Amino acid sequence: MWVIIRWLRNNAYPLTTLFLFLFSFNLVLRYQVYQHSLYFNQSVSFFRTVDGWRSSLTQYFELREENNYLKEENLILRKQLARNYFYHSPSFDSTFVDTNTNGASRLAYRYHHANVIRNEFRKRDNYFYINQGSLDSIEVGMAVLSPLGAAGIVTHISDHYARVMSVLNSNFEITSWIPNIGLRQGAVKWDFKNTSSGIIDEINRSEAIKKGQDVLTSNYSSIFPPGTPIGKIDRVVNSEKSQYLQIRILFATDFKRLNHVYCVKNLFSKTLDQLKTEELND
Amino acid sequence: MIDSLKYIGLAIVLAFFQAFIIQQVDLGFWLFPMPYLYLFFVLPINFNRFGYLFLAFVFGTIVDFLSGSFGTHAASCVAMVFAKNFIDERFIDFESLQLQGEQYLNTQSKGLLTFFYYALSLIAIHHLVFFSLDYFEWRLTFHVILTTIVSSLGSLLLILMYKGIFGR
Repeated sequence: MWVIIRWLRNNAYPLTTLFLFLFSFNLVLRYQVYQHSLYFNQSVSFFRTVDGWRSSLTQYFELREENNYLKEENLILRKQLARNYFYHSPSFDSTFVDTNTNGASRLAYRYHHANVIRNEFRKRDNYFYINQGSLDSIEVGMAVLSPLGAAGIVTHISDHYARVMSVLNSNFEITSWIPNIGLRQGAVKWDFKNTSSGIIDEINRSEAIKKGQDVLTSNYSSIFPPGTPIGKIDRVVNSEKSQYLQIRILFATDFKRLNHVYCVKNLFSKTLDQLKTEELND
Repeated sequence: MIDSLKYIGLAIVLAFFQAFIIQQVDLGFWLFPMPYLYLFFVLPINFNRFGYLFLAFVFGTIVDFLSGSFGTHAASCVAMVFAKNFIDERFIDFESLQLQGEQYLNTQSKGLLTFFYYALSLIAIHHLVFFSLDYFEWRLTFHVILTTIVSSLGSLLLILMYKGIFGR
């Protein structure tokens, strides 16, 4: 306290000057129209700049929350994709087609998001684990998609977690579709060489396969929604010993960076399974 | 007491002279002299410095009040009086001034040139603050500097003329 009083006494003259100067300056800003308007405009501009800085800073700290909002939004958008719907056409005769009611769509796929909590990619049979389980409506046989493409299939579940067979697994196969040439032949498998490439065997030599063409999931798959990216064609191996082509593809999903995934439930899988069981019984 | 009344009378005359004569005459775009600063050159140098400061503020406020420029003259007078402490130390030899029986620095005390520099320094500080507050924009800095230079010379000329006429 004494230090403050002593400091004030020692600096009384400059402080008095400052006080009187600021008082006069305040009069200038208050009562002189030109100075007042300039000061007001510049203050507004200054505080807008400060607001901009503050906003940038808080946005940085709110990235996690923002990310969660985006995940939710992605989920909603994915649910709206046309490929999630089956179209059932009613019967019609050859003379009349009702363009308004001839296609009734039904939701075929339901999405749940999850985070990868453990990821394997160095073994021959790789699995990863997600933080959603049976209590979160996850079921065995659900497809798992990364934001970029196919990632795996749920094989085991507990209440809160699930084990997913990665595309990087010797037992994993997925029927493919190359939309550029309309080809729905062959199955994508991992080539065991690295985490980014796979193969499609047994493609007819006559097919016009080119590097860079997209490889998507086919509508023959009862697990993956049709049209989900699997990868892009990297190379075509044309062996003289074989009567088929072998296609090497680069996976769309970066398996080393798996973090956020979607589990997809085919709502018609039970009907399909029932049909298959009936066929077997017959 | 008589001295105090004399200074008050001088202050009133200078304030009115500034507000109703100098400011009403168009002397050109760059020239805005303020001869009322003469008061600060005739106040005794051993005057209480806090008193000096408050006097500058009150005098500046009166000029502001008469001129309709709220706070500008007051702020520049306060700034000038604060700077005057340092400038006095540089230009004035207080002991020799006392021996000469002078109360303030005069043209005869240390010569006209010394007084010229002394007065010009004080006037320039006052005018710089005044025109900075008056123009109040960074982009007009050149105008502020030029007006300060021209007006400082004008003010000094008027002060020297006053000194010459009234012999103070």
